[in-house]
Amino acid sequence: MSADNTPGVEERPTRDVTLTVNGEDLSASVEPRLKLSDFLRQHAGCRGVRVGCEHGVCGACTVSVDGDLVKSCLMYAVQTDGSQVRTVEGLAEDGSLHPIQEAFHEEHALQCGFCTSGFVMSTQALLSENPDPSHEEMEDHLSSNICRCTGYQNIYDAVERAADRLEDLDVDP
Amino acid sequence: MSTPDPAIAGEAEGEGEREEGTAEERFVGTGLERVEDRRILTGEAEYIHDITPEACLEMGLLRTTHPFADIVEVDASAARDHPDCELVLTGEDVAAEYEPMPCGLNGLSEWSLARDTVRFVGEPVALVVAADRYVVEDLVDLVDVEYDTRDPVVDPIEARRDERLVHDQIDTNVPDAETLEFGDVDDAFADADNVLENQYSWGRISGVPLETAGVVAEYDPDTDSFDIDCNIQLHTLVDDTVYEPLGYDPEDVRLNVPPDVGGSYGTKIAIHRYCALAAMASQQLDGRPVKFVEDRVENLQGGDMHSSDREYLLRLAYDDDGTIRALDVNFVDDFGAYPHYPVNQTLKPLSVVSNAYDVSDVRYNYEVVLTNKTAQTAYRGFGVDPHLYALETAVDEAAGDLGMEPYEFRQRNLIQPDQQPYRLPTKNVYDSGDYPAALARIREIVEEHEETEGGLLDPDVVESRREAGKYRGVSYTVHIEPGVSGADWTDRQRSDRDALADRDIEDVAELPEHLRCVVEDDGTVRTSLATDSSGQGHQTLVKQLLADELGVLPSDIEVDYLDSVDAPTEYGSAASRMAVMLSGAAEGLAAELTDNLERLAADHWDVDPDAVTYREGAVERDDADESLSLADLATLDDADADTGPDADADADADDRRTRAAYDYQHPALDYEEFDEAFAQKLPVYPTAAFAANAPIVEVDVETGSVEILKFYSLRDCGTQLNPMIVEGQAAGGLAQGIGAALQEEFAYDDSGQPQAVTLFDYLLPSTKETPEMVLEHTETPSPFTATGAKGTGEGGMIDGPASVATAINRALEPFDVVVDRIPATPNRVRRWLRES
Repeated sequence: MSADNTPGVEERPTRDVTLTVNGEDLSASVEPRLKLSDFLRQHAGCRGVRVGCEHGVCGACTVSVDGDLVKSCLMYAVQTDGSQVRTVEGLAEDGSLHPIQEAFHEEHALQCGFCTSGFVMSTQALLSENPDPSHEEMEDHLSSNICRCTGYQNIYDAVERAADRLEDLDVDP
Repeated sequence: MSTPDPAIAGEAEGEGEREEGTAEERFVGTGLERVEDRRILTGEAEYIHDITPEACLEMGLLRTTHPFADIVEVDASAARDHPDCELVLTGEDVAAEYEPMPCGLNGLSEWSLARDTVRFVGEPVALVVAADRYVVEDLVDLVDVEYDTRDPVVDPIEARRDERLVHDQIDTNVPDAETLEFGDVDDAFADADNVLENQYSWGRISGVPLETAGVVAEYDPDTDSFDIDCNIQLHTLVDDTVYEPLGYDPEDVRLNVPPDVGGSYGTKIAIHRYCALAAMASQQLDGRPVKFVEDRVENLQGGDMHSSDREYLLRLAYDDDGTIRALDVNFVDDFGAYPHYPVNQTLKPLSVVSNAYDVSDVRYNYEVVLTNKTAQTAYRGFGVDPHLYALETAVDEAAGDLGMEPYEFRQRNLIQPDQQPYRLPTKNVYDSGDYPAALARIREIVEEHEETEGGLLDPDVVESRREAGKYRGVSYTVHIEPGVSGADWTDRQRSDRDALADRDIEDVAELPEHLRCVVEDDGTVRTSLATDSSGQGHQTLVKQLLADELGVLPSDIEVDYLDSVDAPTEYGSAASRMAVMLSGAAEGLAAELTDNLERLAADHWDVDPDAVTYREGAVERDDADESLSLADLATLDDADADTGPDADADADADDRRTRAAYDYQHPALDYEEFDEAFAQKLPVYPTAAFAANAPIVEVDVETGSVEILKFYSLRDCGTQLNPMIVEGQAAGGLAQGIGAALQEEFAYDDSGQPQAVTLFDYLLPSTKETPEMVLEHTETPSPFTATGAKGTGEGGMIDGPASVATAINRALEPFDVVVDRIPATPNRVRRWLRES
């Protein structure tokens, strides 16, 4: 039943890509069809990028590319050549949780946690642009991410808490 | 959680979250922050898709696009000849060496890869293994299958006529059906003033966790055994679904579930096909690890993970004064092509057959129907949710026919507090609760906050919205959430039902909840759970429970997980069991451990064990000012073991006195009230959490769209072990209930093609569809459980759909519309309005 074939792998085209992931420079030679989500997970050590649907609905793989929120399953790694990519791994510093992560913890804004990286990244982008969002603004912004566990109530509370904390600390998200 | 008024906030607010303090504190009942969070928030958590051993290969599956077809030929030569291909297996290959997968009913079996016939779109026909998932998918495309297509069986009602059979060899499309009668139903119907008869449909839905199914399997040729990492739910209970198809004994197939699973809600109990196939592939490849993670289209289309899909014919007998006299429930449940383990989803509603109403005469008839669709799995609520939806909608209609306000009709029929514990005609027993007060309270809250000026139901506002074509309504309902299932009844459908009458309680084989622990050298109590978790916070709960029992801090307790071989067979995380089962198991484990530690210390001091006392992390000598801490005791125990006559650590592990293990028996076994249900294999659920709901909805009569403006809910699950987690379960469950009521459905077209194969088609509630929730909590402890806790993992999903459907009925009362099918999608709402 095992395939009877000679060792040796079919040659596939590759492209070189150089980018910055969470502040670290990274170069790799990858197939052009490699999704950014898979690249980050398999080549950049960012396993916090979660893959939930691979068709751009659930938002679990949300990362920041050059400051824009991106569903990394909808982008190819080669498209990020020269870009700055930020994932959830880039938030905690020196072992301390980022205020947004802290707020998600304190407000019990996660259960199974599979959507959490995406929500945290999405919250970070929201608060960068709008440090004091209204409920409607939070609802609009976070509608690109699906959570199947929490019913969202605690996620709103976490975003509010994070906004307050960032304001108190007087830092950018 | 929104709490606009402290009066509404009740006990939810004010508990607050707290950091760990001193050992004198009690931790149960506090919102102790979860220990699971940090690794998740930083991206360090290891879900199944993060597990990739060295030299790991990837598996892909070729799935049929036909709902029903005979396989003429599978030609895998092009794939096998490809230089990147490591392995191809077809159904015939599997059948030559392995066994079929077990089914939920005797007499049926299923192969993990289809052999002669495919029976649902998405059914796997071949597996391919290569080094990389991208390449695997290329190779899957090279496998060519020739089919002879057949006319599919799609409609479950037509399927019952057996004109075309899904399985020729069993001669019927209704492989299981039963009518259970309790009391004198015909007499009650003949005697009642009125009889309502109506049909209700519950669309095919499921849990759809954000993480799909996944497995990494590794065969060990030296020991001829398997190590399988996978995100299966109930890994110690359903391990037979993996070792049986492999043809191995349980101890040779080790299922290990990662501590972090990205949601399950029941659905992942039936992912055994993938586990078995990856294990077979690894065995064929001399033990190379093989990984498979289902993609989303596979998951939605043919991933064995749809759930209840029911057509109800419900009859309700009631008198002119509004008293319900009897209930006659009939339904068919479309199980797809293979009835998997959760066929007993058809039976669980017996545990709450009349919901919160006092009804003594009940008939219950179900039919399991086969069609050419993917199989059902379990989903949060386990079949109770459709039952409550049908029942509460019928109650609405009966009230309407009498011209009585539904609230009054419901109040008239509720079980009174002095009837508790209340024995249902179907033999289950509710433990405690004041349902009339809960229903009155939720109405009072809404009247106080929303019917006043400026509120959502301010009569002036309601009137002006109506002029704009927007109809508002609220419905008040009470719902019971059955918790802590027994295990014995769950194989009723595979039992000789004629023999059940002769059973007694001695014949009942329940499954306990197992916990074990060891005190480590630094005094940490390392505790092992025998169940798996998928977001419920069990590690946190065990820390809270054991910290209180042992008088130490939660940080002194570490909690990990056992695999299916190390753990005894037990039920696990399902049926809202864990709060109650872990409460009892922690109590028993702590008693066992402290007893051992006292004996160890007594031996050391050479005194009688009665002369020492365990207290807050140390054993003290009663007659002298001496004590031994947990760390001291661990060192002492090590020294004994090292120098004893038998220094082999494994051999004397059972004698080590810094270890303990405990199996907590199902609590209902202690109460004779449940003996009859146990003996007859009727659903046993000894805790009855309850909720009084009041969603406020607005229906646009032009577009048919339904918006939930706010969801009020008063919830009671007895003693709350961790109010923060309780509230999270409630809100999350309600969101799923809202999805079921308004937008989720796995529809099939007439040719048997699934219509929801992406998340663009299967619509999960987002922030846009999930309303503000206002939750109030009361605590009516259960008299049947160790801490007074009741199971509450499923509540919102159980009670949400019925609540929303009846609220739409209220909003559309002027049109006499009844939501007799859910989800109540805009096109259906428009049709009801057109036909009204």
